[in-house]
Amino acid sequence: MEETDSDPLNPTTSTPGTTPEFDPKTMRSSKPGLKRLLITTTVLFSFLSGLPFLWKSVEIYRSQLPFHDIDSLSDQIKSTPLRFPCTFHAVFVGFRSTHPDQLRSEIQDGVNRLTRRSSQCGSCNVSISVTVQNPDGHCSETLPSTCSYRCGVIKGDVFGAGLDDMVDESLDDVFSGCSGDGGEMYSVVVVNKEKEDEEVKAVVGKRRHAWIVGSGLEERYGDVVARVSEVFVKVFMNGGREDDSIHGEFMPVGSDGRLVLSFSLLNSDPRDWIYDWDFQRIDEGLLAPVTKALAPIADISVESQVLYHTPKSSFSSWDEKLQSYIFRTSDLPFFVNSNEWHLDTSAGASGRSKILQFVVYIPSGKECPLHLQLPNGEISKTNGFISPMWGGVIVWNPRNCVKDSESPSRNMISPQDLEKIVEVFLGQFRQLFGFKSEAIYTSELGSYKILPSERGFTEWELDVLSRKHTCFNLQSCSTTLGSLSRLVQSLPRMIIKDEIGEQVKYSLKAAKLAQSNASLGGYSSSASSSREARSLAENAFFHPSIMSVSYFSYEHCFAVYSPFFLPVAGHVVLAALREWKRYKQEKAKYLTWLTRKKTA
Amino acid sequence: MAGLVLTRPIPLLILQSFLLAVAFGSNEVEEEFSEALLLKPLPDRKVLAHFHFENRAPPSNSHGRHHHLFPKAISQLVQKFRVKEMELSFTQGRWNHEHWGGSDPLSSMNAKPVGVELWAVFDVPHSQVDASWKNLTHALSGLFCASINYLESSASYAAPTWGFGRNSDKLRYGSLPREAVCTENLTPWLKLLPCRDKDGISALMNRPSVYRGFYHSQRLYLSMVDSGEEGVGSGMLLEQTLTVVLQPDDVSVEKHLQPSWSLSSLFGRNVVGKCVLAKSSNVYLQMEGLAHPEAHTLWKNAEFELSIKPDRTLRESSSVLFIYSIDKSSDSEPFDLGLTWKLPSKWSCQQAPLHASRFLMGSGNERGAIAILLKATESQDKLSGRDLTNGRCTIKANIFQIFPWYVKVYYHTLQIFVDQQQNTSSEVLKKINVSPSTDKMSSGMMEMMLELPCEVKSAAISIEYDKGFLHIDEYPPDANQGFDIPSALISFPDHHASLDFKEELSTLPLLSKFKDKSLVRSYTEVLLVPLTTPDFSMPYNVITITCTVFALYFGSLLNALRRRIGEEERFLKSKGKKTGGLKQLLSRFTAKIRGRPVESPSSDSPATRSSILSTKLLFKIILVAVAAAAWQFFSTDM
Repeated sequence: MEETDSDPLNPTTSTPGTTPEFDPKTMRSSKPGLKRLLITTTVLFSFLSGLPFLWKSVEIYRSQLPFHDIDSLSDQIKSTPLRFPCTFHAVFVGFRSTHPDQLRSEIQDGVNRLTRRSSQCGSCNVSISVTVQNPDGHCSETLPSTCSYRCGVIKGDVFGAGLDDMVDESLDDVFSGCSGDGGEMYSVVVVNKEKEDEEVKAVVGKRRHAWIVGSGLEERYGDVVARVSEVFVKVFMNGGREDDSIHGEFMPVGSDGRLVLSFSLLNSDPRDWIYDWDFQRIDEGLLAPVTKALAPIADISVESQVLYHTPKSSFSSWDEKLQSYIFRTSDLPFFVNSNEWHLDTSAGASGRSKILQFVVYIPSGKECPLHLQLPNGEISKTNGFISPMWGGVIVWNPRNCVKDSESPSRNMISPQDLEKIVEVFLGQFRQLFGFKSEAIYTSELGSYKILPSERGFTEWELDVLSRKHTCFNLQSCSTTLGSLSRLVQSLPRMIIKDEIGEQVKYSLKAAKLAQSNASLGGYSSSASSSREARSLAENAFFHPSIMSVSYFSYEHCFAVYSPFFLPVAGHVVLAALREWKRYKQEKAKYLTWLTRKKTA
Repeated sequence: MAGLVLTRPIPLLILQSFLLAVAFGSNEVEEEFSEALLLKPLPDRKVLAHFHFENRAPPSNSHGRHHHLFPKAISQLVQKFRVKEMELSFTQGRWNHEHWGGSDPLSSMNAKPVGVELWAVFDVPHSQVDASWKNLTHALSGLFCASINYLESSASYAAPTWGFGRNSDKLRYGSLPREAVCTENLTPWLKLLPCRDKDGISALMNRPSVYRGFYHSQRLYLSMVDSGEEGVGSGMLLEQTLTVVLQPDDVSVEKHLQPSWSLSSLFGRNVVGKCVLAKSSNVYLQMEGLAHPEAHTLWKNAEFELSIKPDRTLRESSSVLFIYSIDKSSDSEPFDLGLTWKLPSKWSCQQAPLHASRFLMGSGNERGAIAILLKATESQDKLSGRDLTNGRCTIKANIFQIFPWYVKVYYHTLQIFVDQQQNTSSEVLKKINVSPSTDKMSSGMMEMMLELPCEVKSAAISIEYDKGFLHIDEYPPDANQGFDIPSALISFPDHHASLDFKEELSTLPLLSKFKDKSLVRSYTEVLLVPLTTPDFSMPYNVITITCTVFALYFGSLLNALRRRIGEEERFLKSKGKKTGGLKQLLSRFTAKIRGRPVESPSSDSPATRSSILSTKLLFKIILVAVAAAAWQFFSTDM
């Protein structure tokens, strides 16, 4: 088939005498044919045009994800931290010569000074209004007035006389008609008493009110303003906790927005004594208000069990001075015995719910009473500890540590003891959420009494939680979606189902809604929609189909198709090339022949 | 668990204003737990130990949330999947119906098919039953560390209508014959007991001795007890049993004596006290077929001797039950019950009316037949459960069988032989319900009710099948081992097993269980069907060879299309005088063989040509040798 030494097609070449110039090696007399070239190129082109179809047939279904929206969401959350509108209203009762506008600017300065460092996510966009009430009952206030506070309703003598709880209630009535321009309204009432030598008392209520009562406040007016702004920022805005006491990622709420509180009563050795509890009543009586109060932040369910034969795994030692067995803080990491404590993940908790274990540990007769010694040598009053994100342990010692005679019967933990246990538990629960449980909040300027709520969390604390939680949820949602988009873009052969695309879409939608709710000041609504956004984002990321990268990999594709396409492609391409080369050669020959003929 | 944070002492005021209006000491029924162990010497020199744990939860609305003794995990399972009744068993070994009994309550309830068996009745609308079943299998497989989740696919379970003995249309049944049962299944099962294996009777469960036995069946039965009241949830009953058949170490010299044993020699452990949470905690010793008359009353007699005096002795028509309470045992005084035989003793157990076995017929990888053989047992005459309809004495037997879809059964080939005579079906076959299998979708199921004459010696049922082909990715790992057909269940609806000791003590959990009439049932063997298994690298081989053939065809077609025949002919003609290299080589070769000088085809310088050719040839030979050496090297290297 080699064309190098092909003979000319012309049969007359055997008699070269007719055209003496004709050299069969370099020229030909007839036009080279196009038939074979056409065939080979057609085959080649049909192959090439078939390639896209083949490509389409091995393509993997990928739902279109809104990459652009995801990026813009995460950019937005990174660049502008989420801020909620908060309205602070200060009422100065019994102040004669103070002008409200001046007070407002001073409070604003104080607030700005305090918030300068903490520009973190979930804080407030502050708007302040001030009302000053004369001792005569005349009022002047800053404009625009945000609150329909009726002048003269607050009487100076109410404060200090009654119980703090009653004052709190009455303040709630006074400010019930108030609403800030978006967001919740917090108020501080400063009452200047006429009487001399009355101590300054500052109380933060369970709702969103605080009051400072004292005499001679007008003279110490700079102090008062500083304290008012401190209450606004440190208590109402930051929840009375240190800025970095708890990070968002340590918020003990599952990524699907659910939280299971699993209570276990551990009888470490039932041969010594057996204790039982009536947890259902605790649940209904004490825990239900707490779970209800936390409903916007987490969907909480409560369950309990009693376990037996559950020794702790650390050792305790007898302390002669304290007349009890002692375990130290250094033993705490070894206290929880995961081999014998079958606390169990709950079947009621689905998927990505968070389970917080609260364990009441009853020591055996050999180590009773058992106490926790603090590093300073004192004995812990709560006799318990928490482990962040896991839960808490409370050691409860039976009274007198007297063994039951012969066969142990089932004893009930008395209601008083149970109440104490629940108190400690609530303290631990608050601590897991980052709140302190002290009744006195102390700052540089003085101390504040904080009224506890029977729901475990006061309203202003819940507001703080809602704000922080919204912020954390949105951050987590954007990082989850961001990593999903990075993952999807980095694995071009991963199947992405429509369901994932839908979830991403809805998650983005919910995140947008949470942001707009937050800007309008709907704390709990933004918390719940941010929860939804996070849970949808997590659902998309952990969708079962995403875990399995397609088995139909490039290697597989190559292995299946190469035995056919490689040899065939070789044939086709080579044939086309050769035909093309030959055609060019023959044409050149023909052209030389033509020129020769012309010249001849 | 790093980073533990201390709670500061909290003078907590949160609840000060809030008094607990909680009154304790309610008169509610509490959750109850009881444990029992039944020991029974078997005629074939073995000992049966049957652990029985019962956990009852009274009707309440807080099930799944607050529990004291009842395992929370099970309760949550029940709440979540609306399970009404459920039984799960893990079995290793096969129950010996001839020697270990076939018609007593113990064997009818605890003789289970090999592997895992699960059935459940749900309390959900019909459309949701399958979904609930699937979720339940997944939950259980997580709970018990077993591959129960393989029962999820619709091709592995069935919905029996009446053949299973429970008439419910919300019942699902599935079994996994190949599931290996070991400690990883026992540990989670023990976790459901309040005392686990720390205390009480369950402390006897020394893993090596339990798993050394001939038969081992661990069962979990759950049922809801309706309270009958409105607005109150139903109560729950959880029954956990472990049945083991052990061979005592025989130390006696006399071979004809039954082996003597004690708890410590059987299990390697002692009972050192009851589980303090158990309401009752008893050990029973059941002796059957005692020959000596005084043996029925005395615990020390001429025939045998017990090491501990029983608290009570109960009698039944054919057996004696010694009852021990283990309350008094302690660390210093462990409860170690022993039995010493003095006289050779022989007895036989109560047998089911018919002994069932199942086997495969036929050969090859294409078709075969399954046969179920029912043989009359010796004790048949003693049984009372006969049905005297129309003056004829008959034995009813229900057969329930699941066929996997790849065993394609031809139901028209069903043949019934009674006493080796082929029988027209209608005579014996009273009722039959068949649901054929769908390929890859659902398994086939056959339920049939036979009515055999009492004097029958043997009855056989055979049915033919074709073996199906599975898709390549449907084969399990180690497909060459073969495929299992789950056990068939033979039950005798007119025969009921019960032991009634006619005493007030029958209220004890285990005894009351025995008193309940239970259906006599027996499971057949598991069958192993070898299916044609492909070479799993086949697809690639096929792809490669077909692609190569296609490529060859395509290439030669293309070449043929662009071939220039006229040109080639001319080319050959011009080259006619100078032969090709190969041709010349051949001619030289033949010339050498013939011993004649090479007749050079052309006159021009043959010597130079041959020298060039020889170097070329040499090069070629070297190339081939190198290729061969490389091939050898790499192929041995693999």
